[in-house]
Amino acid sequence: MSDVKSLLQELEGLVPECSARLDQASLSELEDIKIDLLGRKGRVAKIMSGLPSLPNEDKPVAGKKANEVKAALTALIEGKQSELEKAATAESLSRFDPTMPGRRPAEGSLHPVTLVMDEICDVFIGLGFEVVTGPEVENDWYNFEALNIPPEHPARDMQDTLYISDSILLRTHTSPLQIRTMKDRTPPLAAIAPGKVYRRDSDLTHTPMFHQIEGFLVDQNVSMADLRGTLTAFVHQLFGPKTDVRFRPSFFPFTEPSAEVDISCVMCGGKGTIDGKPCRVCKQTGWVEILGCGMMDPNVMKAVDYDTEKYSGFAFGLGIERVAMLKYGIGDLRMFFENDIRFLEQFS
Amino acid sequence: MLLSMQWLRDFVPYEGEIQELGDRLTMLGLELEEIFNPFEAIKDIVVGHVVECGKHPEADKLSVCKVDVGDGELLDIVCGAPNVKQGINVPVAKVGVTMPGDFKIKKAKLRGVKSHGMICSERELELSEEHDGIMILPEGLTPGAKFTEEMNMEDTVMDLGITPNRADCLSMLGIAREAALAFDLPITMPKFNLVENGGNAADMLKIEIDSPDLCPLYQARILQGAKIAPSPDWMRYRLLSVGVRPISNIVDVTNYVLFELGQPLHSFDADLLKGGKIRVGLAPDGTKFTTLDEQERKLIDSDLLIWDAERPVALAGVMGGMNSEIHDDSTNVVLESAVFRPALIRKTARRLALPSEASYRFERGVDQQLNTFAMDRAAQLMSELSGAKIVSGVAKNEPTPWQDRTHDYRHKRCNSWLGLDLEPEFSKKAFSLMGLEVNDSDAECWKVSTPSYRLDLEREADLYEEVARYFGMDKIPSVLPRISKTFDASVIADTPYGFYRRIKNWGRGVGLHEAINYSFVGDDDLDLLGLPKEGRVNIANPLSEDQNVMRTELAPGLLNTVRHNLAQGNTHIRVFEIAKKFIKDETSDTETREQSRLGIMLNGPRSGAEWPNEHGDADYMDVKGLVEHLLADLKLGEANFSLAEDHSYLEPCVNITLGDKEIGFMGMVKADIADKYHAKKEVWMADLNADLLRDIVMAHKIKFETLPVFPPSRRDVTVIGPVSLHAETIKDAIIGLKLPLIESVELVNVFVPEGQEDERNLSFRITYRHGQKTLTDKAVDKEHKKVLAGLEKSLPVRF
Repeated sequence: MSDVKSLLQELEGLVPECSARLDQASLSELEDIKIDLLGRKGRVAKIMSGLPSLPNEDKPVAGKKANEVKAALTALIEGKQSELEKAATAESLSRFDPTMPGRRPAEGSLHPVTLVMDEICDVFIGLGFEVVTGPEVENDWYNFEALNIPPEHPARDMQDTLYISDSILLRTHTSPLQIRTMKDRTPPLAAIAPGKVYRRDSDLTHTPMFHQIEGFLVDQNVSMADLRGTLTAFVHQLFGPKTDVRFRPSFFPFTEPSAEVDISCVMCGGKGTIDGKPCRVCKQTGWVEILGCGMMDPNVMKAVDYDTEKYSGFAFGLGIERVAMLKYGIGDLRMFFENDIRFLEQFS
Repeated sequence: MLLSMQWLRDFVPYEGEIQELGDRLTMLGLELEEIFNPFEAIKDIVVGHVVECGKHPEADKLSVCKVDVGDGELLDIVCGAPNVKQGINVPVAKVGVTMPGDFKIKKAKLRGVKSHGMICSERELELSEEHDGIMILPEGLTPGAKFTEEMNMEDTVMDLGITPNRADCLSMLGIAREAALAFDLPITMPKFNLVENGGNAADMLKIEIDSPDLCPLYQARILQGAKIAPSPDWMRYRLLSVGVRPISNIVDVTNYVLFELGQPLHSFDADLLKGGKIRVGLAPDGTKFTTLDEQERKLIDSDLLIWDAERPVALAGVMGGMNSEIHDDSTNVVLESAVFRPALIRKTARRLALPSEASYRFERGVDQQLNTFAMDRAAQLMSELSGAKIVSGVAKNEPTPWQDRTHDYRHKRCNSWLGLDLEPEFSKKAFSLMGLEVNDSDAECWKVSTPSYRLDLEREADLYEEVARYFGMDKIPSVLPRISKTFDASVIADTPYGFYRRIKNWGRGVGLHEAINYSFVGDDDLDLLGLPKEGRVNIANPLSEDQNVMRTELAPGLLNTVRHNLAQGNTHIRVFEIAKKFIKDETSDTETREQSRLGIMLNGPRSGAEWPNEHGDADYMDVKGLVEHLLADLKLGEANFSLAEDHSYLEPCVNITLGDKEIGFMGMVKADIADKYHAKKEVWMADLNADLLRDIVMAHKIKFETLPVFPPSRRDVTVIGPVSLHAETIKDAIIGLKLPLIESVELVNVFVPEGQEDERNLSFRITYRHGQKTLTDKAVDKEHKKVLAGLEKSLPVRF
């Protein structure tokens, strides 16, 4: 028959002992202490194995004490554990250097021409236009004749041409896509044609290759007012709603009437001066030319056998590099095709 | 087109601001490019009066002058001209003035005598080539006054951009008409009184025209007894103000009338024309003819010539001939005024690279009805300036007289074309102000006649443009059109544009920079890469030899990109480009086959130097990894990679195939070639057929596969084999066993034991899985043993 008193004493003695052992303990030692005291074969369990031999009247007292001691030990151990864990976290934080460089994947970039082209295409796609593409080496008929530019027409001077042979050339504009698309299809048609174009011209403000986007709409009752509305919406989306748009009569063989579209200068805001100094971008006029447009010439429609009494249409074209230069403030056109990484990586 | 304001005011009484005129002309389609003072360079020159003129004590040829320039004190100026003398007025550049050619007048000492300024010759003022002496000015001028003011040279010039359709605006008269339209002002034509002096020009000169379509009108006047001399100042200054160099009275008059009325004229020395005959006819092929710039030209049978009875005397509409030009002793003149077929003139002027003010106007079309007026105006001016007598009558042949042109005009349709709602009266007013005549007896469809100077008005739509110009193109309202289209129009993602956009975004995502190179390179670039000569698309008129052929591969352009970057000190080069290559193809309507390619090029460190990046230069694994990533990104499955033999510029070169389709190649640019582009480190590249990839992607349908329910088991096997045994061969052998439980095989490690460099250890991880149950270790072991046995049997390997 065990003595309840010594059993209780033994149980109570575990608390100060635990406390003393925990004092200097590490996290791994703490785990040992926990197992030693509270484990399935631990000290508390061992002491309590004497319980069955106690007199029945002592059993509740001993049981109660055992639970109290267990709770006290658990509280001690958990307290110490959270204290140690905190310290460990603090320790590892003190070694953490947030300023170390990250393990980062290489960053790429899209060419500014691509960025502007995509942006412009997105605006027109949103307006309901589809995107068409076509050959860069063209024949004379698509590039000139079908666009109302017969041989020996002075308008051919407007586009100095790189020739492959007498009848084959590098397209001087994206306008042949009007003809190629219309020839294959019937109205209504609303399309844009982005792509490379070529001119025999190379100086500070010209490169022999550059990019254009052609756009056209053919349907019944299309008017110059529709053209103006479309291009005004486009300019506002690309350059902001406060941009002024000006239509000025001009000449293109494939449109009649023809107009050039100026926008208020993006550099000086149309004032012509910046802090009292003359604006170099618009040469103080307050306007920069951005695209050419007009009502599709009846001769162009005739070239693809469209009924000019039934249908009318408009067409427009703009140079991508010019827009990119205005948008990003790029001063030198030639940079576009040098592909200097320090230039390219600025765009994304 | 340079427009002198002074000259313009002869035609139209515009007194407003010059800028405002320029702005209004711009909005009528004549774009103002610049406003400037034509005599800006000599604006600081003043009138001086030579009060005293004595010999220089030390030099015979120099004079020492005291000159009154209105400053109170007389200036001492040393002058070397033989014609300087006391009492004359002269142009003086004072100390501090900058002369044309950017040289500044300073105080000077000439042989010991101080000089405070310069007395100028005409050449020094860029007014003529005259430099035998100083310029002597008229009497009665005010000393100290501005030279340009006193000489009536105060003028302002506008540079206007004239579009090719507006041939009528290539003259003072033409622009005056537009100014009159803008401000509702009247036009005054030059007034003159032609004095004929007997004889009969028609008898003296016969005009023959070989074919009416070459030349609708050729006429000439004859002048006798001319004295060739410089033109008077007023004419010289006007010519100078529009950028024309004065020559002599007869020649200057032809230029003056060209600028004034837009009609090019030519004057022959009548005594050098043989046989009293002018013939207009094409050149026999191979004809040699010396133009007045002393160049012998070899002509072809589309060049139009003016002949006398024996020989060609002028290249029609382009340039006169040496053999009949006006010279200092000429006395009799044949003044030609003609209309030539524009296309012929243009063809010749372009072929011979001989653009002239005359050909520029002829090729755009001149006003046939103004022709006689222009000729008579010039004859009278020549007579006044040279003292010549005008022979009565005109030698003339007009096989195709001008026919008035009439076009239909439907006002309603004009409104719907422009999106406007104008009253008919508005259009009538516009037409009337432009000199067009309206017959509206049919109210729905008017008949509108256009004047002979508006050759650009050819159709009804051209009349709409005139209405829009007069209304103001900028006042047309904005309406967003309703775009009607069918639903079967292609979706953006399906278009080539959409696909390339997807690839470009992939490239950016994997850390490549998009490059855009010129589509043309030099034949030398292609030769350097050992690319075939046949199939190249060459440019007939290249800007330079290094841009004379369309690229047949992307490599030359990308290598140029590498070279440029290395030259700039950029060493970490990772670029891609989507662009076309061009191959000759006679079956195409453009004689060229174009194919879009994706090119990738890597050179230098694979990543930045910053820790913890992996160091090392880009190699095969990098370029192959990108290709594999792209194919995986496009969900195209696994490609086959096989060593290609004898590639012209890559070594090694690896062909990439997807099923039975060759989708491209990749490899390392041969070191000797890379060296030519200054690349010391390995240059790795890939070149894929983007069009074919698009076709495959379009045909590919994504099909969902049910996720496996039972867990996999994995076993690694390290295969020891000779280095010549390709990893892919081992992997294919494992897969080739076709064991049903094998789900996948991947290479997980490569190890070359030291001292055994002819062997390597390749560790593969094989994933086994059963679709309907969890595999037991025993079952997996059994299967794995079959793998080992299979490999040992088929390949020279051990484990």
